[in-house]
Amino acid sequence: MPRLTRRELLAGAAAGAVAGGALYELVDRLGQTPSRAAAAGFPKEQHVLDGLRVVTDDGIEVLVPPLHHRIVTAKLRVDGDKASLISAQKELARVLDSIEEGREPTPAGIGVTAAWGLPYFDRFVPKQAAAHIPVDLRATRGKGRTIKALTPSIRFPSDPRDVILEANDVAFLVRSDDNEAVVDAGKKLLALGFLEPTSVRAGFAGGGFEGGMSLPKRMAVAAGIPGADLVPHTSELFLGFTSTQKAGLGPTRIANLETLGYTNGKGGYFDGGTHMALSHIFEDLEAWYLTFDFRDRVDTTFDPGMKAKPGAQTLAQGPRQVASVHKVKRKFHKTGMIGHSASLQTTSRLLEDTRGSDGTLYRKGTAIPHRADFNTLDNPFAWSSEPEADAMSDEPAAGVHFVVFNPTSDDFRRNRMAMDGVLPDGTRLPFQRGARGQGLNSVLKTTHRQNFLVPPRRHRSFPLVELPA
Amino acid sequence: MLGSACGSVDSSSKAEAKSTKLSCPSNWRPGWQKLANRIDAPVYCPAWIPDPLTAQIGGRWSTGVSVGKDRSYLAGFIWFEKGSEIHVNLRGYPGRTTIPKCRNDEQAGGKRIKTFIPCFADAKKPRTVAGYRVTLYTVNRDADQWHLLYAWRRNGSLYTLSEHVAPPFGYQRVVQNLGHMMRSLVLVQPQ
Repeated sequence: MPRLTRRELLAGAAAGAVAGGALYELVDRLGQTPSRAAAAGFPKEQHVLDGLRVVTDDGIEVLVPPLHHRIVTAKLRVDGDKASLISAQKELARVLDSIEEGREPTPAGIGVTAAWGLPYFDRFVPKQAAAHIPVDLRATRGKGRTIKALTPSIRFPSDPRDVILEANDVAFLVRSDDNEAVVDAGKKLLALGFLEPTSVRAGFAGGGFEGGMSLPKRMAVAAGIPGADLVPHTSELFLGFTSTQKAGLGPTRIANLETLGYTNGKGGYFDGGTHMALSHIFEDLEAWYLTFDFRDRVDTTFDPGMKAKPGAQTLAQGPRQVASVHKVKRKFHKTGMIGHSASLQTTSRLLEDTRGSDGTLYRKGTAIPHRADFNTLDNPFAWSSEPEADAMSDEPAAGVHFVVFNPTSDDFRRNRMAMDGVLPDGTRLPFQRGARGQGLNSVLKTTHRQNFLVPPRRHRSFPLVELPA
Repeated sequence: MLGSACGSVDSSSKAEAKSTKLSCPSNWRPGWQKLANRIDAPVYCPAWIPDPLTAQIGGRWSTGVSVGKDRSYLAGFIWFEKGSEIHVNLRGYPGRTTIPKCRNDEQAGGKRIKTFIPCFADAKKPRTVAGYRVTLYTVNRDADQWHLLYAWRRNGSLYTLSEHVAPPFGYQRVVQNLGHMMRSLVLVQPQ
């Protein structure tokens, strides 16, 4: 009997996890597949998913995210010579094309995003990366030295001391309303001989906008998650509020490396690309629903004192609701609390009308980050190649695989620091880690983080290997 | 206004009729009688309480009774072992039906911000349990933090019964326990 290699063993186990197991099969049984608009063809960006349906909830426009999500992270087992890299580039490109073949770039079809970590660039194409990864002009000005659009992930003030800063070569994000398409895509990727999987992450999203109990609530109850019974019946996410308000999400291309001029990437190799921050975060539903009342939850999720009808789940997040640094500071000193959204808005919204490099006029108050996060019952992953190091458990746990596209690592860093009360004017609101005044933040616990560069579609497979060193 | 979310004893007095058929266990009764006499108002003795607790005031699992200047009382019973906890509280507020306020402290830098907020919040729709028109509150303060709490009114007074949501009991089991305890309540009149 032939002996399996380590890679074959890992790939086999990971492929089993891609299907998600009995728990995730419930998504198909419990979820309602939303109707979707058609797309006009694949855009140049990998992160853009067309055909997102807009519904109105409490008079507020909300985007309906795809139902099924998978992330496969991996290290590469490829010889570093150019011929091997070019061969691998062609093979991956062929597989990515085959995943999309006959499907639209919409949730009804499939969305595949290949994102590349610093270890890949450092190990395989360091010189090309030095020449072609765009410079973050704003961060460079601030620091007085060259800062690239992709930088290592860091531990943030509210992160636990043992948060794992990952070092994957590549991550694939796969999204669709069709679970079979997502599973099939994962299996095709894991069959690649040069891909040594490190984790498989699975999850779901989907509000009760069509009426009835939402998917996260059903899934949490089915899994026996503590606090699941307290999740509002129609909540889009475990924490009880809608987070895909159209006005609260960056327009599709605003998060491109080049759109807002944050980098010098316009017209370059990575034009049409973006940055992706990936993390896993546990959510303590029982603490959220048993120790924070509705008023507390609104205050600390959105903005202290924000008007909300009792039990409301979808609250306006348009330019009129944008908080300033002054307002966040004033409310903190008055109430001891900050709103998660309000603090983020001090860095995540445009401070003035801005004409993007794509010709679009982005109005003051427009959101920049383009989020693609989804709820999960992974603990912390569906599968890991290092179960002990990743503290894997078979017990389901409520959480979120947080995925967000920003123009640069530094832009994400600014947003994330603001969430911890470190505001763009340099003010550091004196919170202790896990302080109740941080509300939402105090029931979140990040376990893993990594930053990635997302090339444009034309360079999504092994970016830069075709260029001379 | 806050008090309006609270339930009341069913006017048909089904609860009280049932209550007269039940009896407070003989070794528990003296403590409850003493409490009723002390506050000069009726109190509720639960004839059933989750095992291993007993509702004997001053007994092995009793955390004692505290009585406020306004004659409001808190009687608690707790069992704690190896990360498991069963904790039940009974309260009464003679002569008032509004939800009491609890002190809340937040720190903003070196400054302490003191506010008063409802002790029982996130009320669910009132429903009838064992003849009592009760309101379930899911976010509660002080000794009732992390508890699910039923509140109801009787003759111009507010009463509450709560149980901690903690291993070994999750939400559903605590709701069941609360229902069981409600069905076992015996009204003890002051003498």
